[in-house]
Amino acid sequence: MSHTRGTFAALVDALVPETPDLADRGDEHVPGGLAVGLEEEIIDRVNNFQEADGALAAAGYDATPMAPAVAVLLDTAAAELLVRRRSADGFNSPAEAFAGGPFSRLSRQDRLRALRLLEDEGVFPRLADRFDSAALGTIQFLASSLPILVEFVYYSEATADDGEERSLGWQQADYPGPSDGYAVGMGYEVEEFEENDY
Amino acid sequence: MYERDTDVVVVGAGGDGPALAWRLGQLGIDVTILEAGPFYGNEKWEAPNDAPGGERSGDPSDLSGELYDEQFTSKEGDMNDPVTGKLRWGPADSDRPPWQRTVPQQALISQLSGVGGTTQHYYANHPRAFVTSVEDQPHWPIDYEELVPYYQLLEETHPVEPAPTTPKAEVFFEGARRAGYGLNDGYNVTESGYRPFPNAIPQPDERLMRDGGEEGDVGGNNTSEYRYPDYEGDTLAMHEHQGGPHPRDAPMRERARRSSNVSLVPRALDTGHVEIRPNAFATAILTEGGAAEEATGVEFRDTWAGTTERIHADVVVLAAGCIETPRLWLNSGLPDNGWVGRGLTTHHFDFVAGTFDPDTLEALIGQRAVEPHQGQAAGSRVDVPGKGGIAVNTFAPGITAMAMYAAAQGEWAFDRDTAGEPWDTAGRLAGRQLKEQMADYRRTLTLICHTDDRPRKENGVSIDETTEDEHGPVPLVEWEAHPEDDARRDDLARRAAEILEEAGAEHVHRTDAAPILLHMQSSMAMGKVLDTGCEAMDVSRLFVADHSALSNGVGGANPTHSGQALALRTAEAVADRYFDGVEDPIGSV
Ligand SMILES: Cc1cc2nc3c(=O)[nH]c(=O)nc-3n(C[C@H](O)[C@H](O)[C@H](O)COP(=O)(O)OP(=O)(O)OC[C@H]3O[C@@H](n4cnc5c(N)ncnc54)[C@H](O)[C@@H]3O)c2cc1C
Repeated sequence: MSHTRGTFAALVDALVPETPDLADRGDEHVPGGLAVGLEEEIIDRVNNFQEADGALAAAGYDATPMAPAVAVLLDTAAAELLVRRRSADGFNSPAEAFAGGPFSRLSRQDRLRALRLLEDEGVFPRLADRFDSAALGTIQFLASSLPILVEFVYYSEATADDGEERSLGWQQADYPGPSDGYAVGMGYEVEEFEENDY
Repeated sequence: MYERDTDVVVVGAGGDGPALAWRLGQLGIDVTILEAGPFYGNEKWEAPNDAPGGERSGDPSDLSGELYDEQFTSKEGDMNDPVTGKLRWGPADSDRPPWQRTVPQQALISQLSGVGGTTQHYYANHPRAFVTSVEDQPHWPIDYEELVPYYQLLEETHPVEPAPTTPKAEVFFEGARRAGYGLNDGYNVTESGYRPFPNAIPQPDERLMRDGGEEGDVGGNNTSEYRYPDYEGDTLAMHEHQGGPHPRDAPMRERARRSSNVSLVPRALDTGHVEIRPNAFATAILTEGGAAEEATGVEFRDTWAGTTERIHADVVVLAAGCIETPRLWLNSGLPDNGWVGRGLTTHHFDFVAGTFDPDTLEALIGQRAVEPHQGQAAGSRVDVPGKGGIAVNTFAPGITAMAMYAAAQGEWAFDRDTAGEPWDTAGRLAGRQLKEQMADYRRTLTLICHTDDRPRKENGVSIDETTEDEHGPVPLVEWEAHPEDDARRDDLARRAAEILEEAGAEHVHRTDAAPILLHMQSSMAMGKVLDTGCEAMDVSRLFVADHSALSNGVGGANPTHSGQALALRTAEAVADRYFDGVEDPIGSV
């Protein structure tokens, strides 16, 4: 388990965890993102987020692999959460799938609180504000993109295996998948709009 | 360097550029449109994401419904993934990352490259501007009535028709009636009320009515029933966001969701005077003359070959959208009177979701689920002039999770107290809470609030000089809500919650969305940067024909109808000022 993968696994686990409690709604509601390798999907996207420049571009790379840097940022945020005593649950022993860095030793909710420090209130946003630095400010953008990416990819078809018609996310939402159409018209509230006075 | 001449060069084949090109073509003026992204559904580019393909297309017979069906799979991950999707802001080449922007804040930007621009995934909502936003707000130097003839032409052309009532729309309508809203049945909105959306989507075949029509495949995953030519018009498949390719098997121009690549591009090509060059990223506006600057052409980069070319023209039109139009202007070193890129409006969105008990739904609409994935994506709305609007906005599950539950600002829902509020939960959802909410996807009705946010100089687009990509320094985008805009949004969210409550929702959730930049207007506003013909005040022969030219956010109404109407009007100003004039103007310039 690399630090990067383990840290992203901890992130995925906080956002779309396994939920044994939901078994009463059907067994399909129990597994979460780790069951479908969502952390790999997210790492791929984060690594393909930003165009390569400088030496990297010269070496023929299209994109800057950002995932290791993002994993470090998450650990930094975890450290800040602890130092500022914002952690509700303190350190836990990390689950096996995780990296063992400070981020993955937090409780699920504390991981998300740590993420929030990167977007708002934390050291990076404050520095960005103080120095009016757009470059530092992009950390806020990047951090807030993470839950968006995780929740979108999880509930899209992207994690379906080849030949599988619906992903776990589509099954959990009970979404049947694309359709050519539905006979659900119920007539018209307005037949035609009028060219009324104004 | 390869160089060419034409009458008018347009930068961007998005929502509005093709409207202007169509009108110029009708007037016999030769137009070349440069488009940064791919051209889907065109035989010159059989594999647009894998290989450079052809160079330009000017023949309507190049358009291919067959390719469109192949490319637009209706799957949200395949189409809409912001990093890897076919519909994204980035080069055609799918091996490459998206194009960069510097956004120093929490925000989501949803703009697309490609012929059709951001309308490739739009919902075809075509309301006119709220009358008061043009007449009473201080931003517009022209009157509402000057836009009306252009609105009318578009309403006839696309066409724009009232959306049909569907079960999810009926839940909303009933909630709105019980909350005291009356019906608005006119094009010109001056009072609060509810109505079906005027949509650029031809109405469905009568056989698609639920009662008395065919046995629908309700809830099923049907594959081959409602296809062209057996079915024309909308098939209520709810795939607008995935590119809206229905009815399947139809020629491009018969696809029901009338994005500009379906409706206006074919018409522009029909004139015989318009050609489109995709995979062409404009990097500089060429000018001549010192103090009295005049535009003479555009320099651009072929995104596959990396080569630079130039087109010289009598008139240059920028239609690259609210972010790239000012970027191109500023990177070209053109004069900045302080308003270039400024005054950006975004409709300061929020979302409110209501989850319903099956028995409540049974009594209300005769079925036990809302079925958000059936019907048009957005077919019903409440207008509140002066504040904005509230509309049903429904999405496939991934986009639902992203927009409704992930793209919020502030504390996570588990750390918020909602006592005394009209919603049961608010903020970002994660963990068990998210999974429970998504498990109720089919019983949930999702509403969007479009705020009538006002242009403010501090919001907008400038250049990040420290970050450069292959097309020059990248745009720096900043947008923050003003307290007055926050108050309007809060008002709309409360109204949305009330409508859901009145309809009988058992659980209401408010997103408290972070800035979502998806409706963007007024960053190169008429009255500030442009004159009343949308020609730049400080550079002659340079016009703007995209939403950045709108003087404000048109009151919170979806902006494309106004953007396209203004672009048609601008085409007539171009012809009037620099060509042989317009014998039979749509309106009077
Ligand atoms: C999910 C979604 C749903 C929406 N639904 C609606 C709706 O129902 N109704 C509505 O009114 N609005 C809707 N919108 C908004 C609407 O799509 C946009 O407001 C509209 O497309 C903007 O038009 P535009 O011409 O200003 O810019 P765009 O449509 O963004 O077009 C700009 C074009 O210029 C190209 N370009 C940019 N830079 C360059 C360059 N340097 N060189 C060459 N080409 C360049 C781009 O690739 C793009 O094709 C929706 C948006 C989203 C994201």
